[in-house]
Order: sequence, then structure tokens, then C-alpha cells
Amino acid sequence: MEEGFNQALILLGVGMLTVFSVLLFVVLIGNGIIFFTNRFFPEFETTNNKHNGNSDIDSTKMAAIVAAVKKVSGGKGRIVKINRK
Amino acid sequence: MEVFKQLYDMTALGPIGDNPGVLLMIVIGALLLYLGIVKKYEPLLLVPIGFGVILANLPGGNMGVVAAEMVELPDHRYLNLFEIASEYGIMNFIYYSLIKTGFLPPIIFMGVGALTDFGPMLRNLRLAFFGAAAQIGIFGVFFGAMALGFTPKEAGSLGIIGGADGPTAIYTTIMLAPHLLGPIAIAAYSYMALVPVIVPLVANRFISKKEFGIHMKKQDKLYPPKYKIKNIKAVKIIFPIVLGVVVAILVPSSVPLLGMLLFGNLIKEIGTATQRLSDAATGPIMNTATIFLGLSVGATMTAEVFLDLKTLGIIVGGFLAFAISIAGGITAVKVYNLFSKKKINPLIGATGLSAVPMASRVANELGLKHDGSNHLLQYCMASNISGVIGSAVAAGVLISLLG
Repeated sequence: MEEGFNQALILLGVGMLTVFSVLLFVVLIGNGIIFFTNRFFPEFETTNNKHNGNSDIDSTKMAAIVAAVKKVSGGKGRIVKINRK
Repeated sequence: MEVFKQLYDMTALGPIGDNPGVLLMIVIGALLLYLGIVKKYEPLLLVPIGFGVILANLPGGNMGVVAAEMVELPDHRYLNLFEIASEYGIMNFIYYSLIKTGFLPPIIFMGVGALTDFGPMLRNLRLAFFGAAAQIGIFGVFFGAMALGFTPKEAGSLGIIGGADGPTAIYTTIMLAPHLLGPIAIAAYSYMALVPVIVPLVANRFISKKEFGIHMKKQDKLYPPKYKIKNIKAVKIIFPIVLGVVVAILVPSSVPLLGMLLFGNLIKEIGTATQRLSDAATGPIMNTATIFLGLSVGATMTAEVFLDLKTLGIIVGGFLAFAISIAGGITAVKVYNLFSKKKINPLIGATGLSAVPMASRVANELGLKHDGSNHLLQYCMASNISGVIGSAVAAGVLISLLG
């Protein structure tokens, strides 16, 4: 009985520690990837167009503009603002 | 008269009369069908399982799954699949080729991955920790199970019900205690279907009125996140690749589940280039796997295996594991709130167990009941999705330490 209790205790300790460690890695990896992409691949986010003052441009046109800029600039171009004339 | 006697002998009526347990199992199968069809409780699983139970228990059909000892030969060798099929029927062929090998749960996990969006978790990464705290039921119930006379392997399989993840529970049980597969699968899926009842039951006991009212959007305005994600698509593509490698190094035994989950997610996030793979993973492959998994899990529930005191222990222990997991997530949020300026609604901790997206929807509704403008769904999804990762890791730990 005592042996079983000890085994359960070890399992609880090792198990919870492992789960917390892996999810800590999830948080660290997630933050690392976000930092990396923000730094090196800060692509224009079409879904946030309302916040960028482009709410009058529909999403299909926006996607076409993004694709065109990507193609012409070889993926290095970045859209900062879109004005309608 | 002889003709009638031969006709009677040909039917299953005689053996059914001799073994009333069979009748009880048919009633249980019918009850599962009722829950699936009428009550719509996890119908995709409960309908095949319920029908599998009925098929397995009708005598003479040769559809019940036999114990592993029956297909075992001396020197740790087994009958080949052709011999299993010819001697014990097609259900044993399906069980020993697709289930006992641990093949189907990871395949289903691939489909789950292709249906999962890590976006809410990536936008609220801190909330992922509550998905870890909510795994405590898995390990906590181990003590009680051992005290009730379960072996360590059986106790581990029982505990995994607290992860609230069907494929994970089935995979762990196949690896640790395959003879309990039927009752554990039934308990796991039944409690997942009962999330709308169990989550409010536990939440109302552990969360105060003031805590229910913690408004996440207002908290976000008071304490805004330090940075925004500028390229969510790239993040979502890189994330499963890097996480898969790290998990494979840290907990290799969880890779069959988590690896397939992350692969499924990757082919979804890549977009149009792998659209066909994603469609296959979430459609025909997942549906086929679900049919075979459900039918063969049901076929393991023969009267002599299921009608046992251990089944009762599994039903009670599974509920406790589930409830402890929810309470663990809530407690973790309460502890966090003691030390942080930015408060978190404890309902987010309650969704740290898997059961995606049902647990999040239920928590969201509970939050809205207390404050009509307090939409918690995206926050709950963050801990809910991390709970899927957490329960797969917990399964890996159980298999490593007890297997």
C-alpha cells in the first residue's frame, strides 16, 4: 500500500512537472517565434485592416494588393498604408 | 419437430436465454445509441460504440473482441492477422490491426490537429499555463484508484479520463490496460458529452460572484499586451514544426499523439498548397478512423469483461478525475490572481482540460450569464487548446513511467 502511495506521489510530481515544463516551452517557443517573425517577416495583416484605416477596402481587393506587392518585391515588400484616389 | 429444434439451435435465442448478462449488455448498447441519436451526446462516437456493443454481445456472431491471451503464442509471438480473422472474426482483425497497434488514435489526432486553430493560444500565451494546471485530475485520481485495488497501469488509464480527450484516453489505455478499453472509452466520451453539466457544477462551487465578473476585455485595456503579432500566418506555420521537435526531445512517448496533432495543424495552416491533405485528414481519413475505432471499442465490451466492479470504479473515478481537473485549473487562476495586477477570470482555468471547443463554449455562456458584455470565448480557447497539448504530454508521462 505504501509502495503504491509512493508511486502515485512520484507520478504526480513527475507528471505535473513535465506538463508544466512542456507548456512553459510552448509559451517560450510561441514568444520566440512571434519575436522572430515580427522582426524579420512583419507582413501586412489583412485581417487588421480596420485598425489601419483601410476599412473601406474589401478583403478580396486587399488580398490581391498584398499578393501583388509580394510578387513584385520578391516577398520583401511591406505595405504601410493604402490610400484611395 | 426435429426441424424446429434445428431452427432454434441455429438462432442465438438459446445462448441469450442461458446468459442474462448478454441481455443487459444489449440494453447498455441501446442506451448508448439513445444517448447518441436522441440526446445528441457525442453521436459520432457513441453510435458506433453502442452498435459495436450490441454486435459483440449477440452470441454466435463472432464479433466480440477476445482477450490478448487468446491470440498469444509461446515466445512472445502472436497469431498473424489472417489467422486472427479466420479464427475470431473480422472485428478481432480490425481491433488487433488498427486498435491494439495504437494506429487509430494518432490518425484521429491528425484530423483534430487539422481542425485546431492555435491562434487564440498564440495571442494569449500566458493562459497556456492553465492548460497544465488542469491536468492535475489525471495524476490526482491515481491515489484513489490504487487504494481501490486497481493496478498502477489500470489506475493510469483511469486517470487519463481527467484529460477529457477521447483519442488520448483510448491510446493510453491501449498501451497500459487494454482490457479496460471499453469502460474507459465510454466513461471518457460520456463525461465529455456532459461538459455542459460538469463545468458549471464545479465552477459554481469554486468561483465567487466577484470572480465570475472579472471582465477580460477591460483587463486587456487596463494592461494591454506588450506586443502584437504582425504576421500570424508565419507564426502559425513555424509553431507546430518547432514545438513538434521540442516535444519529441522532451517527452518522446507523447510524439505519436502530439506529432500527428501538430502535423495535422501544419497542413491546415500552410493553406492552399496543402489544402487537399488537410481536407483528407479532416474528412475521409478521420471519419473512417472514427467508424472503426467506435465499432471495435464497442466490441471490447462483452458481458464477461464489462459487468465487473472495476467498471463502476472507472465510472466514479473518471468523474472525480474530470472534476479535479476543472477545479485544478480554477485554483491555478486564483493563485495567479493573488500575485498579478491583471486579473484573469477563473472560468478560463476551468477550460484547461481538453474537450475543445465544448468546454470553452460552456465557460463563455457562464461568463455571459454574469455579465452580458464579458465575452470569454477567445481566452477560454487559449487554455482549452493548451489543455489538448497538456493531456497528450500527461499521457506520454503515464506510458513512459508505467508502460
